[in-house]
Amino acid sequence: MERIRSYLPLWFMLPASVAVALFFLIPVFMTFVFSFTTMSSDTGILGSRYVVSDDTIRTLKGSGMDAALLEKLGSRIFTFDEAGLAALRKSNLKPAVVKEIAEKLSGKVYTSEKKLFNALKRLNNRPRSFKDRKSVSRSIVQTLKNREFKTAEEFRAGLASIGVEVAEDVFENLLDAANMSWKWTTSNYSELMASDFTGKILANTAFYVFFTLFFNVGFALLLALATFYMPSGQSKFFRAVWLIPRVSPSVIYIMLWRWLSFDNGFMSYVLGFFGVEPENWLNEYPWTFVIFANGFVGASMGMIIFASAVVAIPSDVLHAAEVDGAYKWQQIRRIILPLMAWPILFITTYQTLSLMTSFEYILLLTDGGPGFFTTEVWALNAYHTALSNYFGNLRYGFGATLAVMLVGVGIAMSLLYLRLFDFKKLVAEPQIEN
Amino acid sequence: MIERKTNWPLTIFLLIVSAPILIMYVWLFVDSISEINTDSIWPTEFTLRNWRFLVEEIPGHGSVWTALFNTTVFASSVVAIVVILSSTAGYALSRLKFPYRAQFLGMVLLLHSFPSVTLIISIFLMLRMIGLFDTLIGVILVKASLELPFGIWIMKGFYDTVPWEIEMAGVQDGASRFQVWYKLVLPQIMPGIAALSIFSFMAGWSEFVLPLILAPSAEMKLMSVYLAGLVNDDYLSDFGLFKAVGLFYIIPVMIFYFFTQDKLMNIYGGGTKG
Repeated sequence: MERIRSYLPLWFMLPASVAVALFFLIPVFMTFVFSFTTMSSDTGILGSRYVVSDDTIRTLKGSGMDAALLEKLGSRIFTFDEAGLAALRKSNLKPAVVKEIAEKLSGKVYTSEKKLFNALKRLNNRPRSFKDRKSVSRSIVQTLKNREFKTAEEFRAGLASIGVEVAEDVFENLLDAANMSWKWTTSNYSELMASDFTGKILANTAFYVFFTLFFNVGFALLLALATFYMPSGQSKFFRAVWLIPRVSPSVIYIMLWRWLSFDNGFMSYVLGFFGVEPENWLNEYPWTFVIFANGFVGASMGMIIFASAVVAIPSDVLHAAEVDGAYKWQQIRRIILPLMAWPILFITTYQTLSLMTSFEYILLLTDGGPGFFTTEVWALNAYHTALSNYFGNLRYGFGATLAVMLVGVGIAMSLLYLRLFDFKKLVAEPQIEN
Repeated sequence: MIERKTNWPLTIFLLIVSAPILIMYVWLFVDSISEINTDSIWPTEFTLRNWRFLVEEIPGHGSVWTALFNTTVFASSVVAIVVILSSTAGYALSRLKFPYRAQFLGMVLLLHSFPSVTLIISIFLMLRMIGLFDTLIGVILVKASLELPFGIWIMKGFYDTVPWEIEMAGVQDGASRFQVWYKLVLPQIMPGIAALSIFSFMAGWSEFVLPLILAPSAEMKLMSVYLAGLVNDDYLSDFGLFKAVGLFYIIPVMIFYFFTQDKLMNIYGGGTKG
């Protein structure tokens, strides 16, 4: 019994701790680690890669490497070695053809397809059609270019397979040039500083956060105060309505905004009565809709916090004001708002940080468009850089660098939240001794 | 008490500013069962044509039933993991004495408000490294882990309200702390478990970004990714269909919402959505 008691906290904490550590804490740390790498979809993530591409050959040419050697690197070579013969047996060539090749040509090497075909023509059971000869060449061809090697040894073997034997120092040079694996770097940070887009995206983010916040906090206050003075049926109704966007799956909520704003949607229809031509309003005023869509969702959080803050104001304070003959507006301005300074400050700061790091709704609504970077904010740009873009190369390392800034914002946000709670009371000691 | 009369100008003003939400969700329902008319938004004719996706596949998008099944598995697994791990860790943090308890609590609280979406790039890379990329299990583990700080926090709150006397009585009767937890305390916090289950189910059911990035394969498409795929398909521009699928997808959420509104108000008050 004694043992179970003492280990109980461990068993109770362990599973949750492991899960949180693996998929929450370590990713926070790894974001920093990844930001110092050149990782991308080209370099791969795990292990090393050695590839000689046209780019590699061009670079080597620039560095003054022997032209004959470089010519060889790009060449094709046809070898009837064991692997080649095995591939031939698997092809749909006649067994007799394969048998004669194995007998007469085993071990032969040809440096061009033409020479190979000439050799084939001298056979008794020669492949008759061009298609068959092609099939032989395809089965035994060896190239180095664009092939992927996992280790330096494999790369050496690859060089040997096309008949290239080089001195150790030349090999080192080749290996270095062909190395496509990711490297440690600080260039992501300097690139971020130097990039022309950084300014544009920062400006977008500031614009988005400022106006959405304005909308958010403004509507949250308005709703909290208005519903406070309403009969409870009405106030319940409005609060329930404003919570719907928050409980809806984001995909549905944004789909509805797209419907509201598209050519045949609600807005075009209503504006049609005033003689306005139908239009895709989302494309015309993307920012307006980005701010509205985010604002309508965000207002509910402030609304709930503010509403509970207003209710917490002692009613005799409000009564005293009423007896004094204060109007509602004065009551709000002189009593309620000053008492709510702290919740307002908290919501404003919290929402600022929260908006800076969120991108889900913009991704679904405009995906940063229309056009180039029109509504691209920082968080969305990190996603596009690392995980989804039209350029093909996903730059994980650079994306992680963009995410580091967001993680920083996230940490600030969490610390702020922590301040809100009376931590001493939270960690009050348990009343039963173990 | 403060006088609460209906102030018509105020009510009408609130109705106008709430109009986009009301219109969007009323027409979500209306358009899903009516013929779409390109020059009017008013329904002209009742139809079930928009619900054809229930019996036939939308070309290029697969079956909605697969997506529904995947989403159910996904959301239920997230609930199971979050509820079990939070109710043990929450209890330990609320009631047991162990080293670094204060630090653990601080960490839970810190992560509770941390915007986990900022971690998506490094989680993506880590899942690729450990071979869990593009598996439903991987997304489930990630989603559940990201929900855990919130879950532990909520459960700790519920445990805090259970009177110490119950446990003291149990311990004095000779029960172990484990038995006390399992037989005496757990039944007391069933409302907490129910609330957390519903909340994590809704969070899992709605999740979009994680499955989009971490499990992009078609076979394990979730409802959110399925619907986003329909809406973004340039060859489809059928809002009747989108809305029928959307309504089909949102039904469980709406049912939970209408039954648990008050509880949700409390929980969303500390929410982390933008």
